[in-house]
Amino acid sequence: MPDAFLDGWAALPVWLADLLLFLALLAPAFLLGALVLRGFAIGPLLSALLRRQVWVSVVFVALIAISVGLGAGLIAQERGLRQGTAPAADKFELVVAAPGSEITAMLAAVYLQPSDLPLLDGETYDRIASHERVEIVAPLGFGDSWRDAPVVGTTAEFVAYLSEGLAEGRHFAAEYEAVAGARVPLGVGDAFSPAHGIGDAAEHGAHGDLEYEVVGRMPLTGSPWDRALMVPIESVWSVHGLANGHGPGWDGEIGPPFAPAYFPGTPAALVRADSLAANYGLQAEFSTETTMAFFPGTVLARLHALMGDIRQAMSVLAVITQVLVTAGVLAGLMMLTRLLAKRLALLRALGAPRRFIFALTWSFAVTLISTGAALGLLLGVAATRAISSIITARTDVLVSARLAWPELHLVAGFVSLTAVLALLPAFLTMNRPVIRDLRG
Amino acid sequence: MTTPRGRSLTLRDLEVTGEGGRRILYVPRLQIAAGSAVAVRGPSGAGKTTLLYALAGLVSPAAGRILWDDEDIAPLGEPARAAFRRRTVGFVFQEHLLFEELSAPGNAALAALYTAATERAAIRARAAEQLSRLGLDRSAARRSDSYSGGERQRIAVARALAADPDVILADEPTASLDRANADRLADDLVALARHEGRTLITVSHDPAVHARADRVLDIADGRLAADTAQGAPGAAHA
Repeated sequence: MPDAFLDGWAALPVWLADLLLFLALLAPAFLLGALVLRGFAIGPLLSALLRRQVWVSVVFVALIAISVGLGAGLIAQERGLRQGTAPAADKFELVVAAPGSEITAMLAAVYLQPSDLPLLDGETYDRIASHERVEIVAPLGFGDSWRDAPVVGTTAEFVAYLSEGLAEGRHFAAEYEAVAGARVPLGVGDAFSPAHGIGDAAEHGAHGDLEYEVVGRMPLTGSPWDRALMVPIESVWSVHGLANGHGPGWDGEIGPPFAPAYFPGTPAALVRADSLAANYGLQAEFSTETTMAFFPGTVLARLHALMGDIRQAMSVLAVITQVLVTAGVLAGLMMLTRLLAKRLALLRALGAPRRFIFALTWSFAVTLISTGAALGLLLGVAATRAISSIITARTDVLVSARLAWPELHLVAGFVSLTAVLALLPAFLTMNRPVIRDLRG
Repeated sequence: MTTPRGRSLTLRDLEVTGEGGRRILYVPRLQIAAGSAVAVRGPSGAGKTTLLYALAGLVSPAAGRILWDDEDIAPLGEPARAAFRRRTVGFVFQEHLLFEELSAPGNAALAALYTAATERAAIRARAAEQLSRLGLDRSAARRSDSYSGGERQRIAVARALAADPDVILADEPTASLDRANADRLADDLVALARHEGRTLITVSHDPAVHARADRVLDIADGRLAADTAQGAPGAAHA
C-alpha cells in the first residue's frame, strides 16, 4: 500500500478509522445486494417466503445468532477483562516477593487471590523499607476473612495511598481497628470477628472473641480491594501467634518501622519509589537470587498479551464455527428451496427472469444471515454482560462489556463473507428445471 | 367481439423430444388465428401440456418453428423466452399456485415485482381492475388462502391478465373446481380473453371448456389427431 495512504489512515481519528473499516467490511454485501437486486421489487415475495417458513427461518437465525454471539462475546469479554484488570493494578507500581511465579505473586498481592507464597524475611523487608528511594513500602498479611471479604493486614499508610482519601471515617490507628472496602457491608462503628481461612474452609471462632471495629470506609476503587477489610498487619501476625513486627518495649503505635528480628514475614512487599526511574532501579536491585521484583503492570500486560493470543486463536475458531454454521444454514436453505420449488418454477413460467429467482433466494439467505448476525451481536454483548457481572461479583474487578468496533467489524466481515457464500445456493436454485418443478 | 389484439400462432414441424431423444410431440402444421379461443383435449400423457409449455417457450423444441405472429420463439435462449412470456403470455395452471401469504392484489400483481419500475403501476392497476371484473375482494389485508378454491383460481386468472398479455395459456384451469365454479371460471376466462381479443389456448378435459371454444384440437400419442371448428359466437378461425 502506498505510504501516503498509510500515513493518511494513521492520521485519521480512531473513531473515523473504525467507522471506515466497518463500512469497508460491509461494502461487499451492500455492493452484492445492489447488483443482485437491481431492477426488482422483491420485498413482498421475500416477506411471503419468510412467513411461509417462519419456524425454519427462526431456527436458522438462532443458529447463526449463537455462533456470531460466541465470536462477538469472546472479543467483548477479553476486552472487558483487560480493561477491568488494568486499572485495578494502577496503584501497584512495584512488588517485591520471594522468588517464584510473578503471576501468582501478582494475583495474590494485587487481586487478593488466595495462594501459598513463600515469605520475605525481616532483613529483606528492612532493606527495602530503608532504601533511600523508597517512598512507601507495605507488608501484606492474609489468612483471615469475614463472610466473603478477605481480611488483609497492611499499613495505614498504604491504605491511605490506595484509597486516595477515605469515603468515610478515618484510617486505623490501633491494633484492632479496620478500614472496610466500598463493597463490604459494614459501616463505621460496626464490629466483626474474623474467621481463620477463606471460603467454605473458614473456621469461625478460631480467633476466640477477637473483634475488629470498623473506623473508616474506602471509596470505590474498582479493584478486589473494594471487597476487603484492611487491618493493621500487627494484628494479623498477633492473632496467628506470631511476633507482631515490633521488639520488646514497643509503645503500641502501629505501623513501620518494623524490627527485622520480630518480623514474621510477608508474601509480598508493595513498593512505591520516589520516581519512575527509581522504580526501575529498585526492580533491578531486588531482582536477585533471594528476591523477585516485578511491575504488576508489566506482568499484566504479558497476561493480556497471552489472553489476546488465546482470544485470537479462539476468534479464528469462532469464525470457522460461524462459517460452518452458515454453510449448514445455506445447505438447509437449499433443501428449503426445494419445498418452494413449485412456486419458484411458477414465477419462471410467468416470465420472471432467472435472475429474479436468484435475487429472491439470495436475499432470503442474506436476510436470515444478517438478522442472525445482528441478534448474535446483541446476544454476545448480553452474555458478556452476564459473565462480566459474575466475574465482578466474584473478584471485584470491575469488568464491563459494551458493544465496540471490533465486534462490529467481526459481524460486518461475517455478513459480507456469507453474503458471497449465499450466491451458491441462489445460483443452484436459479437453474432448477422449471417443468419438473412445475409438475411437482 | 373487439378487433383481435392477440397474436396468431403458426407451428411448423414442431418436434419435442423427451429423455433419450424419444419423440413426445410432433405437430407438422397448425395455425391459430389471433383472438380465437382454442381448447386442446386428449388422454393423459398425450402431449397436451407439453404443447402448451412449448407454446410458452418453457420447453425447447428439438425441431420446428413456433411463430407467434412473425416472432419465432423456438430458437430463442432462455432469457429471451422468459422475456417473451413476460411480455406476451398469461398463464393459468391447474392448481392456482398462489403465494398464500400474499393478498389477492399481491398475487394478481406478481409481475410487478420483476418488471421494469416504469410498468409496475400499470400492472397493479390492471390487476385491481381484473379482480373487480372477476368479482373478487381487493382487500390488501386478506391473505389469499382465505378465499375459496374457485375464488383462488379466479385470482390466478387476474394474475394471468395483469401484465396485459396478447395470449392466455391455461392448463386444466377447471380441473380442481366443482361444477358451478368450473362453469363460472370457463365463462370468465373466455369472456375476459374475448373482451380484448386475446388469443386463448386452454388444455382441458372439461366439456364445459370445449363448448366455449372456437376450435377444439385433439391430441393423441403426441400428434394432432383432430381439429374441430365450432360455431361459437364471434369465433375467429384459421
